[in-house]
Amino acid sequence: MCAILNIKVKILNKEEVAPDIYLMKLKAPEIVQGALPGQFIHIKCSKDNYPLLRRPLSIHRIDKEKGEICILFQVVGEGTKLLANRTAGDNLDILGPIGNSFNIYPESKKIMIVGGGIGVAPLLALCEESTRQGKEVRVLIGALKKELVIGEENIRKSGAKVDVATDDGSYKYKGLVTDLLEGSIREGWLADQIFACGPKFMMRKIVEISLDAHIDCQVSLEERMACGIGACLGCVCKIKTKDKKEDKVKYKYKRVCVDGPVFKGSEVVWDD
Amino acid sequence: MIDKTCLKAEIAGIKLKNPVMTASGTFGYGQEYAPFVDLNRLGAIILKGITLKPKRGNPPPRVIETPSGMLNAIGLQNVGVEVLIKEKLPYFKKFNTPVIINISGDTIEEYLELTRRLGEVSKEMGVAGLEVNISCPNVKKGGMAWGTDAKATYEIVSSIRKVTALPLIVKLTPNVTDIKIIAQAAEEAGADALSLINTLMGMVVDIDSRRPKLANVSGGLSGPAVKPVALWMVWQVFQTVNIPIIGIGGMIKVEDALEFIIAGARAIEIGTANFVNPRVTIEIIEGIEKYLIENNIKDITKLVGSMKI
Repeated sequence: MCAILNIKVKILNKEEVAPDIYLMKLKAPEIVQGALPGQFIHIKCSKDNYPLLRRPLSIHRIDKEKGEICILFQVVGEGTKLLANRTAGDNLDILGPIGNSFNIYPESKKIMIVGGGIGVAPLLALCEESTRQGKEVRVLIGALKKELVIGEENIRKSGAKVDVATDDGSYKYKGLVTDLLEGSIREGWLADQIFACGPKFMMRKIVEISLDAHIDCQVSLEERMACGIGACLGCVCKIKTKDKKEDKVKYKYKRVCVDGPVFKGSEVVWDD
Repeated sequence: MIDKTCLKAEIAGIKLKNPVMTASGTFGYGQEYAPFVDLNRLGAIILKGITLKPKRGNPPPRVIETPSGMLNAIGLQNVGVEVLIKEKLPYFKKFNTPVIINISGDTIEEYLELTRRLGEVSKEMGVAGLEVNISCPNVKKGGMAWGTDAKATYEIVSSIRKVTALPLIVKLTPNVTDIKIIAQAAEEAGADALSLINTLMGMVVDIDSRRPKLANVSGGLSGPAVKPVALWMVWQVFQTVNIPIIGIGGMIKVEDALEFIIAGARAIEIGTANFVNPRVTIEIIEGIEKYLIENNIKDITKLVGSMKI
Protein backbone atom coordinates (compact mmCIF):
# COMPACT_ATOMS: atom_id res chain seq x y z
CA MET A 1 0.00 0.00 0.00
CA CYS A 2 1.37 3.44 -0.80
CA ALA A 3 1.45 6.26 1.70
CA ILE A 4 -1.52 8.55 2.12
CA LEU A 5 -0.83 11.94 0.56
CA ASN A 6 -2.46 15.29 1.19
CA ILE A 7 -2.56 16.92 -2.22
CA LYS A 8 -4.52 19.31 -4.38
CA VAL A 9 -6.00 17.75 -7.49
CA LYS A 10 -7.65 19.44 -10.43
CA ILE A 11 -11.24 18.68 -11.39
CA LEU A 12 -11.14 17.81 -15.08
CA ASN A 13 -14.77 17.09 -15.62
CA LYS A 14 -18.06 16.84 -13.77
CA GLU A 15 -21.24 15.26 -15.02
CA GLU A 16 -24.62 14.53 -13.46
CA VAL A 17 -25.07 10.93 -14.60
CA ALA A 18 -28.36 10.35 -12.79
CA PRO A 19 -30.59 12.55 -10.63
CA ASP A 20 -28.31 13.87 -7.84
CA ILE A 21 -25.54 11.46 -8.79
CA TYR A 22 -22.30 12.92 -10.11
CA LEU A 23 -19.27 11.55 -11.87
CA MET A 24 -16.17 13.63 -11.33
CA LYS A 25 -12.84 13.14 -13.06
CA LEU A 26 -9.71 14.27 -11.22
CA LYS A 27 -6.14 14.75 -12.39
CA ALA A 28 -4.19 12.93 -9.70
CA PRO A 29 -0.91 11.59 -11.08
CA GLU A 30 0.64 11.62 -7.58
CA ILE A 31 -1.70 8.94 -6.28
CA VAL A 32 -3.01 7.09 -9.31
CA GLN A 33 -0.06 4.71 -9.62
CA GLY A 34 -0.48 3.38 -6.11
CA ALA A 35 -4.29 3.47 -6.02
CA LEU A 36 -6.13 0.17 -5.72
CA PRO A 37 -9.75 -0.84 -6.34
CA GLY A 38 -11.70 -0.45 -3.09
CA GLN A 39 -9.68 2.47 -1.77
CA PHE A 40 -11.13 5.92 -1.23
CA ILE A 41 -10.12 9.55 -1.09
CA HIS A 42 -11.04 11.92 1.74
CA ILE A 43 -12.22 15.18 0.23
CA LYS A 44 -12.50 18.69 1.57
CA CYS A 45 -15.70 19.61 -0.22
CA SER A 46 -15.72 23.34 0.50
CA LYS A 47 -13.08 25.98 0.04
CA ASP A 48 -13.54 27.27 3.58
CA ASN A 49 -14.20 25.37 6.78
CA TYR A 50 -17.92 24.78 6.44
CA PRO A 51 -18.88 22.02 6.39
CA LEU A 52 -15.96 21.19 8.62
CA LEU A 53 -15.13 17.57 8.01
CA ARG A 54 -13.90 15.87 4.87
CA ARG A 55 -16.09 13.40 3.00
CA PRO A 56 -14.81 9.92 2.18
CA LEU A 57 -15.62 8.88 -1.40
CA SER A 58 -14.69 5.67 -3.17
CA ILE A 59 -12.37 5.73 -6.14
CA HIS A 60 -14.66 4.78 -9.01
CA ARG A 61 -12.12 4.41 -11.74
CA ILE A 62 -8.33 4.34 -11.90
CA ASP A 63 -6.70 5.42 -15.17
CA LYS A 64 -2.97 4.94 -14.68
CA GLU A 65 -2.08 5.91 -18.24
CA LYS A 66 -3.75 9.31 -18.06
CA GLY A 67 -2.99 9.80 -14.37
CA GLU A 68 -6.66 10.28 -13.60
CA ILE A 69 -9.12 8.97 -11.07
CA CYS A 70 -12.88 9.25 -11.04
CA ILE A 71 -15.28 9.50 -8.15
CA LEU A 72 -18.98 8.77 -8.33
CA PHE A 73 -21.14 10.23 -5.60
CA GLN A 74 -24.69 10.96 -4.60
CA VAL A 75 -25.73 14.26 -3.07
CA VAL A 76 -26.93 13.29 0.40
CA GLY A 77 -25.96 16.27 2.54
CA GLU A 78 -24.20 19.58 2.68
CA GLY A 79 -20.74 18.24 1.90
CA THR A 80 -21.70 16.33 -1.22
CA LYS A 81 -23.93 19.22 -2.28
CA LEU A 82 -20.99 21.60 -2.21
CA LEU A 83 -18.82 19.08 -4.00
CA ALA A 84 -21.43 18.76 -6.73
CA ASN A 85 -21.24 22.53 -7.19
CA ARG A 86 -17.49 22.50 -7.77
CA THR A 87 -16.57 22.92 -11.41
CA ALA A 88 -13.97 21.77 -13.89
CA GLY A 89 -10.71 23.63 -13.31
CA ASP A 90 -11.24 23.87 -9.53
CA ASN A 91 -8.68 22.35 -7.21
CA LEU A 92 -9.80 19.86 -4.59
CA ASP A 93 -7.89 19.23 -1.37
CA ILE A 94 -7.78 15.46 -0.90
CA LEU A 95 -6.19 12.83 1.27
CA GLY A 96 -5.54 9.54 -0.42
CA PRO A 97 -5.42 6.86 -1.48
CA ILE A 98 -6.82 5.45 1.77
CA GLY A 99 -7.73 2.00 3.00
CA ASN A 100 -7.01 -1.58 2.13
CA SER A 101 -8.55 -2.76 -1.13
CA PHE A 102 -10.54 -5.59 -2.62
CA ASN A 103 -8.34 -8.65 -2.58
CA ILE A 104 -8.64 -10.56 -5.85
CA TYR A 105 -7.04 -13.95 -5.33
CA PRO A 106 -4.68 -15.03 -8.14
CA GLU A 107 -6.31 -18.46 -8.26
CA SER A 108 -9.85 -17.09 -8.69
CA LYS A 109 -11.31 -17.67 -12.14
CA LYS A 110 -14.86 -16.42 -11.72
CA ILE A 111 -15.70 -13.17 -9.98
CA MET A 112 -19.15 -11.96 -8.95
CA ILE A 113 -19.54 -8.27 -8.15
CA VAL A 114 -22.75 -6.91 -6.61
CA GLY A 115 -23.56 -3.24 -6.17
CA GLY A 116 -26.62 -1.58 -4.70
CA GLY A 117 -27.46 2.08 -5.34
CA ILE A 118 -24.46 4.36 -5.01
CA GLY A 119 -22.60 1.26 -3.75
CA VAL A 120 -21.49 0.67 -7.32
CA ALA A 121 -19.01 3.53 -6.82
CA PRO A 122 -15.94 1.41 -5.96
CA LEU A 123 -16.96 -1.49 -8.19
CA LEU A 124 -16.02 -0.23 -11.65
CA ALA A 125 -12.34 -0.06 -10.71
CA LEU A 126 -12.64 -3.57 -9.27
CA CYS A 127 -14.42 -4.84 -12.36
CA GLU A 128 -11.83 -3.34 -14.72
CA GLU A 129 -8.98 -4.79 -12.68
CA SER A 130 -10.63 -8.22 -12.55
CA THR A 131 -11.17 -8.37 -16.32
CA ARG A 132 -7.64 -7.05 -16.87
CA GLN A 133 -6.40 -10.02 -14.87
CA GLY A 134 -8.35 -12.30 -17.19
CA LYS A 135 -11.10 -13.28 -14.77
CA GLU A 136 -14.59 -14.13 -15.90
CA VAL A 137 -16.63 -11.34 -14.30
CA ARG A 138 -20.32 -10.95 -13.67
CA VAL A 139 -21.78 -7.81 -12.20
CA LEU A 140 -25.20 -7.36 -10.63
CA ILE A 141 -26.50 -3.84 -10.17
CA GLY A 142 -29.43 -2.98 -7.94
CA ALA A 143 -31.28 0.32 -7.92
CA LEU A 144 -34.59 1.76 -6.81
CA LYS A 145 -35.64 2.63 -10.35
CA LYS A 146 -34.37 2.93 -13.92
CA GLU A 147 -32.97 6.48 -13.65
CA LEU A 148 -30.83 5.46 -10.71
CA VAL A 149 -29.09 2.56 -12.43
CA ILE A 150 -25.52 3.75 -12.74
CA GLY A 151 -22.35 2.41 -14.27
CA GLU A 152 -23.99 -0.27 -16.39
CA GLU A 153 -22.45 0.79 -19.68
CA ASN A 154 -18.88 1.23 -18.42
CA ILE A 155 -19.03 -2.07 -16.58
CA ARG A 156 -20.21 -3.84 -19.73
CA LYS A 157 -17.47 -2.14 -21.74
CA SER A 158 -14.87 -3.56 -19.38
CA GLY A 159 -15.87 -7.02 -20.52
CA ALA A 160 -18.11 -8.11 -17.67
CA LYS A 161 -21.58 -9.58 -18.04
CA VAL A 162 -24.10 -7.27 -16.38
CA ASP A 163 -27.55 -7.86 -14.91
CA VAL A 164 -29.76 -5.23 -13.35
CA ALA A 165 -32.55 -5.33 -10.79
CA THR A 166 -34.83 -2.42 -9.96
CA ASP A 167 -37.13 -2.31 -6.96
CA ASP A 168 -40.03 -0.98 -9.02
CA GLY A 169 -39.36 -3.06 -12.10
CA SER A 170 -38.89 0.01 -14.32
CA TYR A 171 -35.78 -1.58 -15.78
CA LYS A 172 -34.93 -5.25 -16.31
CA TYR A 173 -35.57 -7.58 -13.34
CA LYS A 174 -38.17 -6.40 -10.82
CA GLY A 175 -36.99 -7.10 -7.32
CA LEU A 176 -33.85 -7.18 -5.28
CA VAL A 177 -30.35 -7.58 -6.62
CA THR A 178 -29.86 -10.37 -4.11
CA ASP A 179 -32.59 -12.33 -5.95
CA LEU A 180 -30.38 -12.20 -9.04
CA LEU A 181 -27.43 -13.45 -7.03
CA GLU A 182 -29.42 -16.38 -5.68
CA GLY A 183 -30.72 -17.07 -9.19
CA SER A 184 -27.26 -17.23 -10.71
CA ILE A 185 -26.08 -19.61 -8.00
CA ARG A 186 -29.16 -21.81 -8.56
CA GLU A 187 -28.35 -21.89 -12.25
CA GLY A 188 -24.91 -23.15 -11.35
CA TRP A 189 -22.75 -20.11 -12.02
CA LEU A 190 -20.54 -20.38 -8.96
CA ALA A 191 -18.03 -17.62 -8.48
CA ASP A 192 -14.77 -18.13 -6.64
CA GLN A 193 -15.24 -14.76 -4.99
CA ILE A 194 -18.12 -12.37 -4.40
CA PHE A 195 -17.51 -8.67 -3.85
CA ALA A 196 -20.28 -6.37 -2.65
CA CYS A 197 -20.93 -2.75 -1.83
CA GLY A 198 -24.26 -1.14 -1.05
CA PRO A 199 -26.83 -0.72 1.70
CA LYS A 200 -26.18 -2.70 4.88
CA PHE A 201 -29.24 -4.96 4.51
CA MET A 202 -28.11 -5.87 1.00
CA MET A 203 -24.58 -6.73 2.03
CA ARG A 204 -25.83 -8.70 4.99
CA LYS A 205 -28.04 -10.80 2.71
CA ILE A 206 -25.19 -11.30 0.24
CA VAL A 207 -22.93 -12.52 3.04
CA GLU A 208 -25.64 -15.03 4.06
CA ILE A 209 -25.95 -16.24 0.48
CA SER A 210 -22.17 -16.53 0.12
CA LEU A 211 -21.86 -18.50 3.34
CA ASP A 212 -24.59 -20.92 2.23
CA ALA A 213 -22.87 -21.38 -1.13
CA HIS A 214 -19.40 -21.58 0.45
CA ILE A 215 -18.13 -18.69 -1.64
CA ASP A 216 -15.53 -16.28 -0.31
CA CYS A 217 -17.12 -12.84 0.07
CA GLN A 218 -15.69 -9.36 0.64
CA VAL A 219 -17.78 -6.31 1.46
CA SER A 220 -16.94 -2.62 1.41
CA LEU A 221 -18.29 -0.87 4.49
CA GLU A 222 -19.19 2.72 5.17
CA GLU A 223 -19.32 4.63 8.43
CA ARG A 224 -19.35 8.26 9.52
CA MET A 225 -15.74 9.34 9.46
CA ALA A 226 -13.65 12.19 10.82
CA CYS A 227 -9.88 11.97 10.26
CA GLY A 228 -9.79 9.22 7.61
CA ILE A 229 -6.24 8.23 8.52
CA GLY A 230 -6.80 5.92 11.46
CA ALA A 231 -6.28 8.38 14.29
CA CYS A 232 -9.66 9.36 15.68
CA LEU A 233 -11.33 5.93 15.93
CA GLY A 234 -14.61 7.47 14.83
CA CYS A 235 -15.49 5.19 11.91
CA VAL A 236 -15.40 1.79 13.54
CA CYS A 237 -17.34 -1.36 12.65
CA LYS A 238 -17.76 -4.60 14.57
CA ILE A 239 -15.46 -7.39 13.39
CA LYS A 240 -15.55 -10.91 14.85
CA THR A 241 -12.51 -12.00 16.77
CA LYS A 242 -10.93 -15.43 16.72
CA ASP A 243 -11.69 -16.14 20.36
CA LYS A 244 -14.27 -18.93 20.36
CA LYS A 245 -14.20 -19.91 24.01
CA GLU A 246 -17.82 -19.02 24.46
CA ASP A 247 -20.81 -19.36 22.20
CA LYS A 248 -21.33 -15.62 22.23
CA VAL A 249 -19.90 -13.87 19.24
CA LYS A 250 -16.88 -11.91 20.28
CA TYR A 251 -15.97 -8.85 18.36
CA LYS A 252 -13.75 -5.85 18.35
CA TYR A 253 -14.03 -2.47 16.74
CA LYS A 254 -11.97 -1.96 13.64
CA ARG A 255 -11.50 1.25 11.73
CA VAL A 256 -13.35 1.39 8.43
CA CYS A 257 -10.85 3.95 7.11
CA VAL A 258 -7.54 2.13 7.41
CA ASP A 259 -8.37 -1.40 8.61
CA GLY A 260 -11.05 -1.46 5.86
CA PRO A 261 -13.09 -0.33 4.08
CA VAL A 262 -13.06 -3.88 2.69
CA PHE A 263 -13.70 -6.70 5.16
CA LYS A 264 -14.37 -10.41 4.82
CA GLY A 265 -18.13 -10.77 4.81
CA SER A 266 -17.98 -13.65 7.29
CA GLU A 267 -16.17 -11.48 9.84
CA VAL A 268 -18.61 -8.57 9.94
CA VAL A 269 -21.05 -8.38 12.86
CA TRP A 270 -24.27 -6.85 11.53
CA ASP A 271 -26.22 -4.94 14.12
CA ASP A 272 -29.97 -4.66 13.84
CA MET B 1 11.37 44.56 12.89
CA ILE B 2 13.28 41.71 14.41
CA ASP B 3 14.45 38.60 12.65
CA LYS B 4 14.76 36.26 15.61
CA THR B 5 11.94 35.53 17.91
CA CYS B 6 11.47 33.13 20.77
CA LEU B 7 8.62 30.65 20.59
CA LYS B 8 9.75 28.60 23.56
CA ALA B 9 7.31 27.82 26.31
CA GLU B 10 7.52 25.96 29.56
CA ILE B 11 4.56 24.09 30.93
CA ALA B 12 4.67 22.21 34.19
CA GLY B 13 8.46 22.06 33.87
CA ILE B 14 8.22 20.59 30.37
CA LYS B 15 10.29 22.58 27.90
CA LEU B 16 8.52 23.16 24.59
CA LYS B 17 10.11 24.38 21.35
CA ASN B 18 6.88 26.23 20.70
CA PRO B 19 3.48 26.33 22.38
CA VAL B 20 1.64 24.11 19.87
CA MET B 21 0.59 20.69 21.13
CA THR B 22 -1.78 18.08 19.82
CA ALA B 23 -5.02 17.46 21.70
CA SER B 24 -5.55 13.98 23.04
CA GLY B 25 -7.72 11.76 20.86
CA THR B 26 -7.22 13.82 17.73
CA PHE B 27 -3.68 12.77 16.94
CA GLY B 28 -3.89 9.01 17.52
CA TYR B 29 -0.65 7.59 18.84
CA GLY B 30 1.32 10.15 16.83
CA GLN B 31 2.54 7.81 14.14
CA GLU B 32 -0.68 8.25 12.12
CA TYR B 33 0.27 11.87 11.44
CA ALA B 34 3.95 11.30 10.66
CA PRO B 35 3.29 11.23 6.88
CA PHE B 36 2.01 14.81 7.12
CA VAL B 37 3.81 16.42 10.04
CA ASP B 38 7.46 16.49 11.07
CA LEU B 39 6.82 15.44 14.66
CA ASN B 40 10.07 17.12 15.70
CA ARG B 41 8.56 20.51 14.98
CA LEU B 42 5.69 20.17 17.45
CA GLY B 43 5.78 21.72 20.90
CA ALA B 44 4.55 18.49 22.43
CA ILE B 45 2.49 15.49 21.47
CA ILE B 46 -0.38 14.41 23.67
CA LEU B 47 -1.41 10.89 22.86
CA LYS B 48 -4.83 9.28 22.65
CA GLY B 49 -6.23 8.84 26.17
CA ILE B 50 -5.02 5.67 27.83
CA THR B 51 -6.49 3.44 30.52
CA LEU B 52 -4.98 0.67 32.61
CA LYS B 53 -6.70 -2.08 30.59
CA PRO B 54 -7.57 -1.90 26.88
CA LYS B 55 -10.97 -0.33 26.23
CA ARG B 56 -13.27 -1.30 23.39
CA GLY B 57 -15.13 2.00 23.18
CA ASN B 58 -18.69 2.85 22.20
CA PRO B 59 -20.74 1.38 19.35
CA PRO B 60 -20.92 3.31 16.08
CA PRO B 61 -21.98 5.80 14.85
CA ARG B 62 -19.41 7.55 17.01
CA VAL B 63 -19.04 10.82 15.14
CA ILE B 64 -21.42 13.25 13.50
CA GLU B 65 -20.85 16.62 11.96
CA THR B 66 -22.66 19.62 13.45
CA PRO B 67 -22.74 23.29 12.44
CA SER B 68 -19.07 24.36 12.50
CA GLY B 69 -18.14 21.40 14.60
CA MET B 70 -18.59 17.75 15.35
CA LEU B 71 -19.82 15.47 18.08
CA ASN B 72 -17.84 12.43 19.09
CA ALA B 73 -18.57 9.56 21.41
CA ILE B 74 -15.55 7.31 20.93
CA GLY B 75 -15.74 6.10 24.52
CA LEU B 76 -11.99 6.09 25.15
CA GLN B 77 -11.21 3.12 22.92
CA ASN B 78 -7.52 2.47 23.50
CA VAL B 79 -4.90 -0.26 23.58
CA GLY B 80 -4.26 -0.12 27.33
CA VAL B 81 -1.11 1.04 29.06
CA GLU B 82 0.99 -2.11 28.54
CA VAL B 83 0.57 -2.08 24.76
CA LEU B 84 1.19 1.66 24.80
CA ILE B 85 4.50 1.12 26.57
CA LYS B 86 5.54 -1.84 24.44
CA GLU B 87 4.32 -0.85 21.00
CA LYS B 88 3.54 2.85 20.82
CA LEU B 89 6.06 4.73 22.96
CA PRO B 90 9.26 3.24 21.43
CA TYR B 91 8.35 5.01 18.18
CA PHE B 92 9.09 8.39 19.76
CA LYS B 93 12.70 7.58 20.65
CA LYS B 94 13.84 9.01 17.32
CA PHE B 95 12.14 12.34 17.99
CA ASN B 96 13.06 15.09 20.44
CA THR B 97 9.50 16.28 21.06
CA PRO B 98 8.06 15.81 24.55
CA VAL B 99 5.39 13.12 24.71
CA ILE B 100 2.61 13.63 27.22
CA ILE B 101 0.28 10.79 28.15
CA ASN B 102 -3.40 11.51 28.69
CA ILE B 103 -4.71 9.19 31.41
CA SER B 104 -8.22 8.05 32.37
CA GLY B 105 -9.77 5.57 34.74
CA ASP B 106 -13.03 4.34 36.24
CA THR B 107 -11.74 4.55 39.80
CA ILE B 108 -9.07 6.46 41.72
CA GLU B 109 -7.17 3.20 42.09
CA GLU B 110 -7.00 2.84 38.32
CA TYR B 111 -5.67 6.37 37.90
CA LEU B 112 -3.07 5.69 40.57
CA GLU B 113 -1.93 2.37 39.16
CA LEU B 114 -1.71 3.90 35.69
CA THR B 115 0.27 6.84 37.06
CA ARG B 116 2.67 4.56 38.90
CA ARG B 117 3.18 2.35 35.87
CA LEU B 118 3.92 5.33 33.62
CA GLY B 119 6.20 6.74 36.32
CA GLU B 120 8.22 3.50 36.33
CA VAL B 121 8.90 3.69 32.62
CA SER B 122 8.97 7.47 32.21
CA LYS B 123 12.75 7.83 31.99
CA GLU B 124 13.29 4.85 29.71
CA MET B 125 10.32 5.60 27.44
CA GLY B 126 10.57 9.36 27.51
CA VAL B 127 7.26 10.22 29.15
CA ALA B 128 7.48 13.98 29.69
CA GLY B 129 4.32 14.35 31.72
CA LEU B 130 0.74 13.31 32.32
CA GLU B 131 -2.48 14.97 31.32
CA VAL B 132 -5.16 13.80 33.72
CA ASN B 133 -8.48 13.42 31.95
CA ILE B 134 -11.22 14.16 34.46
CA SER B 135 -13.48 15.44 31.74
CA CYS B 136 -14.42 12.70 29.25
CA PRO B 137 -18.17 13.01 28.62
CA ASN B 138 -18.49 9.67 26.83
CA VAL B 139 -17.83 7.02 29.43
CA LYS B 140 -20.29 5.76 32.03
CA LYS B 141 -17.95 5.61 34.98
CA GLY B 142 -15.22 8.01 36.01
CA GLY B 143 -14.44 10.50 33.30
CA MET B 144 -16.33 13.72 33.67
CA ALA B 145 -17.75 12.77 37.07
CA TRP B 146 -14.42 13.80 38.60
CA GLY B 147 -14.23 17.09 36.80
CA THR B 148 -17.69 18.43 37.57
CA ASP B 149 -17.24 18.51 41.33
CA ALA B 150 -14.56 20.52 43.09
CA LYS B 151 -14.18 18.03 45.97
CA ALA B 152 -13.85 15.09 43.58
CA THR B 153 -11.34 17.05 41.51
CA TYR B 154 -9.28 17.82 44.59
CA GLU B 155 -9.48 14.21 45.74
CA ILE B 156 -8.31 12.65 42.50
CA VAL B 157 -5.64 15.21 41.66
CA SER B 158 -4.13 15.19 45.14
CA SER B 159 -4.12 11.37 45.15
CA ILE B 160 -2.28 11.27 41.84
CA ARG B 161 0.08 14.02 43.00
CA LYS B 162 1.13 11.85 45.94
CA VAL B 163 2.28 8.97 43.73
CA THR B 164 4.19 10.80 41.01
CA ALA B 165 6.79 13.46 40.48
CA LEU B 166 5.90 13.66 36.78
CA PRO B 167 4.52 16.98 35.57
CA LEU B 168 0.74 16.91 36.00
CA ILE B 169 -1.61 18.69 33.66
CA VAL B 170 -5.28 18.46 34.61
CA LYS B 171 -7.74 18.60 31.72
CA LEU B 172 -10.96 20.35 32.65
CA THR B 173 -14.50 19.96 31.42
CA PRO B 174 -16.60 22.96 30.37
CA ASN B 175 -19.77 21.15 31.49
CA VAL B 176 -19.82 22.92 34.85
CA THR B 177 -21.50 25.89 36.47
CA ASP B 178 -18.26 27.64 37.37
CA ILE B 179 -15.00 26.36 35.93
CA LYS B 180 -12.98 28.69 38.20
CA ILE B 181 -13.90 26.63 41.25
CA ILE B 182 -12.78 23.39 39.61
CA ALA B 183 -9.58 25.04 38.37
CA GLN B 184 -8.77 26.26 41.88
CA ALA B 185 -9.40 22.80 43.34
CA ALA B 186 -6.99 21.28 40.83
CA GLU B 187 -4.35 23.90 41.58
CA GLU B 188 -4.66 23.42 45.33
CA ALA B 189 -4.41 19.67 44.85
CA GLY B 190 -1.03 20.08 43.22
CA ALA B 191 -1.63 20.32 39.48
CA ASP B 192 1.31 21.84 37.62
CA ALA B 193 -0.86 23.12 34.78
CA LEU B 194 -4.44 23.08 33.52
CA SER B 195 -5.68 22.31 30.04
CA LEU B 196 -9.10 23.46 28.94
CA ILE B 197 -11.59 22.85 27.55
CA ASN B 198 -12.58 19.26 26.88
CA THR B 199 -15.74 18.86 24.76
CA LEU B 200 -19.18 20.25 25.52
CA MET B 201 -21.97 17.71 25.78
CA GLY B 202 -24.40 17.67 22.89
CA MET B 203 -26.78 15.63 20.79
CA VAL B 204 -28.17 15.34 17.25
CA VAL B 205 -31.56 13.79 16.43
CA ASP B 206 -32.53 12.01 13.22
CA ILE B 207 -36.05 13.23 12.48
CA ASP B 208 -36.91 10.28 10.22
CA SER B 209 -36.10 7.51 12.67
CA ARG B 210 -36.53 9.78 15.72
CA ARG B 211 -33.36 8.30 17.09
CA PRO B 212 -30.24 10.09 18.23
CA LYS B 213 -27.63 10.12 15.46
CA LEU B 214 -24.94 8.91 17.84
CA ALA B 215 -25.33 5.38 19.20
CA ASN B 216 -24.24 6.74 22.59
CA VAL B 217 -27.10 9.32 22.40
CA SER B 218 -24.86 12.17 23.56
CA GLY B 219 -21.37 13.12 22.51
CA GLY B 220 -18.75 15.77 22.97
CA LEU B 221 -18.90 18.88 20.81
CA SER B 222 -15.66 20.19 19.38
CA GLY B 223 -14.51 22.36 16.50
CA PRO B 224 -14.87 26.07 15.72
CA ALA B 225 -18.35 26.11 17.29
CA VAL B 226 -16.88 25.81 20.80
CA LYS B 227 -14.08 28.34 20.40
CA PRO B 228 -15.78 31.35 22.03
CA VAL B 229 -16.82 29.22 25.00
CA ALA B 230 -13.30 27.89 25.40
CA LEU B 231 -11.75 31.34 25.13
CA TRP B 232 -14.04 32.74 27.77
CA MET B 233 -13.20 29.88 30.13
CA VAL B 234 -9.46 30.24 29.54
CA TRP B 235 -9.73 33.95 30.33
CA GLN B 236 -11.71 33.29 33.51
CA VAL B 237 -9.31 30.61 34.71
CA PHE B 238 -6.30 32.76 33.80
CA GLN B 239 -7.51 35.39 36.23
CA THR B 240 -8.05 32.78 38.94
CA VAL B 241 -5.03 30.46 39.10
CA ASN B 242 -1.27 30.93 39.15
CA ILE B 243 -0.33 27.78 37.24
CA PRO B 244 0.02 27.76 33.44
CA ILE B 245 -2.99 27.20 31.22
CA ILE B 246 -3.08 25.23 28.00
CA GLY B 247 -5.91 26.46 25.78
CA ILE B 248 -8.00 23.97 23.83
CA GLY B 249 -11.13 24.51 21.77
CA GLY B 250 -11.89 24.80 18.10
CA MET B 251 -8.67 26.38 16.88
CA ILE B 252 -8.37 25.90 13.16
CA LYS B 253 -6.10 28.76 12.08
CA VAL B 254 -3.30 30.83 13.55
CA GLU B 255 -5.56 33.74 14.52
CA ASP B 256 -7.54 31.38 16.75
CA ALA B 257 -4.37 30.22 18.48
CA LEU B 258 -3.27 33.83 19.03
CA GLU B 259 -6.63 34.65 20.62
CA PHE B 260 -6.09 31.90 23.17
CA ILE B 261 -2.55 33.02 23.93
CA ILE B 262 -3.66 36.63 24.38
CA ALA B 263 -6.47 35.41 26.65
CA GLY B 264 -3.97 33.68 28.91
CA ALA B 265 -2.95 30.34 27.41
CA ARG B 266 0.78 29.67 27.68
CA ALA B 267 0.40 26.80 25.25
CA ILE B 268 -2.39 25.47 23.08
CA GLU B 269 -3.67 22.11 21.91
CA ILE B 270 -4.97 21.60 18.40
CA GLY B 271 -7.73 19.02 18.16
CA THR B 272 -10.51 18.66 15.62
CA ALA B 273 -8.62 20.77 13.06
CA ASN B 274 -6.16 17.88 12.64
CA PHE B 275 -9.00 15.91 11.02
CA VAL B 276 -9.63 18.65 8.49
CA ASN B 277 -6.04 19.64 7.77
CA PRO B 278 -3.42 17.17 8.92
CA ARG B 279 -0.71 19.85 8.63
CA VAL B 280 -2.57 22.44 10.66
CA THR B 281 -0.22 22.26 13.67
CA ILE B 282 2.78 23.22 11.54
CA GLU B 283 0.85 26.00 9.80
CA ILE B 284 -0.13 27.43 13.18
CA ILE B 285 3.46 27.29 14.48
CA GLU B 286 4.67 29.14 11.38
CA GLY B 287 1.81 31.62 11.68
CA ILE B 288 2.58 32.41 15.32
CA GLU B 289 6.21 33.06 14.47
CA LYS B 290 5.21 35.36 11.62
CA TYR B 291 2.83 37.28 13.88
CA LEU B 292 5.49 37.75 16.54
CA ILE B 293 8.01 39.03 14.02
CA GLU B 294 5.52 41.36 12.38
CA ASN B 295 4.49 42.76 15.73
CA ASN B 296 8.05 43.04 16.98
CA ILE B 297 7.46 40.70 19.91
CA LYS B 298 10.74 39.05 20.86
CA ASP B 299 9.35 36.45 23.19
CA ILE B 300 5.98 34.72 23.03
CA THR B 301 5.64 34.80 26.81
CA LYS B 302 5.09 38.58 26.43
CA LEU B 303 1.90 37.80 24.56
CA VAL B 304 0.46 35.37 27.11
CA GLY B 305 -2.49 36.95 28.90
CA SER B 306 -1.77 40.33 27.33
CA MET B 307 -5.43 41.08 26.68
CA LYS B 308 -6.30 44.71 27.33
CA ILE B 309 -9.59 45.33 29.08
